[in-house]
Amino acid sequence: MSMVKFEKIKRPEKIGLPFMLDFYPLQDEKNTRISQFFKSLKEGHLTTTKCKECGKVLWPPRIMCPECLSESLEWVDLGVEGELYAFTEIRLGAPLGFVEDVPFCVGIVKIGSLLISARIDDAKYEDLKIGDKVNLKIVELPDSRVFYRFSKDKEQ
Amino acid sequence: MKQVAIVAGGEAKAGRRAASWRDLVQEAGKALFEDVDNLSPKDVDSIFVGAAQPERFAFLSYVAPLVAEYIGVTPRKVIARTELACVSGQAAIRYAWNCVATGMSDIAVAIGVEKMYQPDMAEAQTTMTCVLDREWDGINCFSAPPIFAVTAQRHMYEFGTTEEQMALVSVKNHHYSSLNPIAHLRKEVTVEAVLKSPVVAPPLKLFDCCPMTDGSAGVILVRAEDAKKYTDTPMYLIGSGQYAIGNVINNLASLAEWVPLKLAAKEAWRTAKITKDDVDIAEVHDCFTISEIMEYEGLGFCETGKGGQFIEDGEPYIGGKVAVNPSGGIMGCGHPLGATSIYHTFEILKQFRGDVDKGRYVEGAEIGIQHSLSGAANLHSILVCSRELR
Ligand SMILES: [Zn+2]
Repeated sequence: MSMVKFEKIKRPEKIGLPFMLDFYPLQDEKNTRISQFFKSLKEGHLTTTKCKECGKVLWPPRIMCPECLSESLEWVDLGVEGELYAFTEIRLGAPLGFVEDVPFCVGIVKIGSLLISARIDDAKYEDLKIGDKVNLKIVELPDSRVFYRFSKDKEQ
Repeated sequence: MKQVAIVAGGEAKAGRRAASWRDLVQEAGKALFEDVDNLSPKDVDSIFVGAAQPERFAFLSYVAPLVAEYIGVTPRKVIARTELACVSGQAAIRYAWNCVATGMSDIAVAIGVEKMYQPDMAEAQTTMTCVLDREWDGINCFSAPPIFAVTAQRHMYEFGTTEEQMALVSVKNHHYSSLNPIAHLRKEVTVEAVLKSPVVAPPLKLFDCCPMTDGSAGVILVRAEDAKKYTDTPMYLIGSGQYAIGNVINNLASLAEWVPLKLAAKEAWRTAKITKDDVDIAEVHDCFTISEIMEYEGLGFCETGKGGQFIEDGEPYIGGKVAVNPSGGIMGCGHPLGATSIYHTFEILKQFRGDVDKGRYVEGAEIGIQHSLSGAANLHSILVCSRELR
């Protein structure tokens, strides 16, 4: 007869979204040197850094210009309008934290010389075409973090 | 610098496998050493392990010593894991090649492995999504299907490429993979079936996308002058090109034209002293149907914007201008990230040996290339392989 002891052990039934699997970055000045970007966003402004030495507008925002290595950067406002350069709709295969949103549109928005990827809200895939005007939208997370999206202009 | 040859290859059956990460690498390792005479794991002095995301897919870091232990290798010259997303396997081959060419290593193994299947699909997608800049593109859910969807949309917009032309790539590659015993997907598909398959991210449907696949494959590299000690049919590495431009979507050279691929190809042809017309077999990175169309263009097999026409004309079939993905490609064989490039390099060796089904055999092939890309197609990498020493 076996003398081996069996014992049921406990494990947590559910583990919440682990901190580093949350896609949204830490935004305050304790965690990033570009916290000004998120401060501006909270006030309704999408901004980025521009190099004062060589004039290059950098996206995403930086603390150092990769063109000339200058740390002399200034914040510039990108305005509230963009033009849809490309888009698709996520129907299958969204990551954790986004599965509940399916289907949703994502796209690349042209603002001046920049091509910025973003969620495109308030539209279905069929409602969109390349060249459409889209407007800046800010989403607020429950923990007071923020992020930018774009929204289809209903006036069109 | 010494010239370098691949003398053996081994692979695990690709697919949705009832096997763990470490099972897969043991299968490939056993097959690898059974493919070569006069050489055992203990003779190998260096090992490079292509593994893109073992931290997330298998919850393992520091995987090179683990793999060495499991396949019986005692590294005493150089050992490293190579990570370059979908190019991780080719990176392993490139480092092994460099070590043998410089004399730092005598016998080196490049082996890749990825276990892609896991119980939670959303978790797997989360893992994949951090390949693109997670805080600026990944956060917007630009994982592989969406980035290649917008790439396809721009290619259609700028050049008039059609969904039917993209479907033809899937038809061709599933045809060849139906003849490949190690392939993940072994069923033919029709244009209609591709067009009617579930939409993943428009314009991409399920059969425009490669599957999630478990797999592992390895190759052994030695100095060319020593190659015949181990095999009558070595394969020589005669050139390469690799180029990366930007990373975040904003800093890509272009969406609808793969500039870094063109630059990598130019360098590959220059170092191998060949032209694109010398390429008999091209095992290229068809992660999505649009990718292969853009690779015909980027490799110079046709003009920019004419990739759709190229497949419509049957040119990338065996017997056409160049045999593209006679293995069945990623579309048919699957895409276990860290192993993919190595499967395809071994495929070229099998082709040179005549060790493939006659329905997908490229008779008389002398030059084969293996191309991989990663990220938002900001990085492209090409190996040029030759049947003869040149
Ligand atoms: Zn500058």
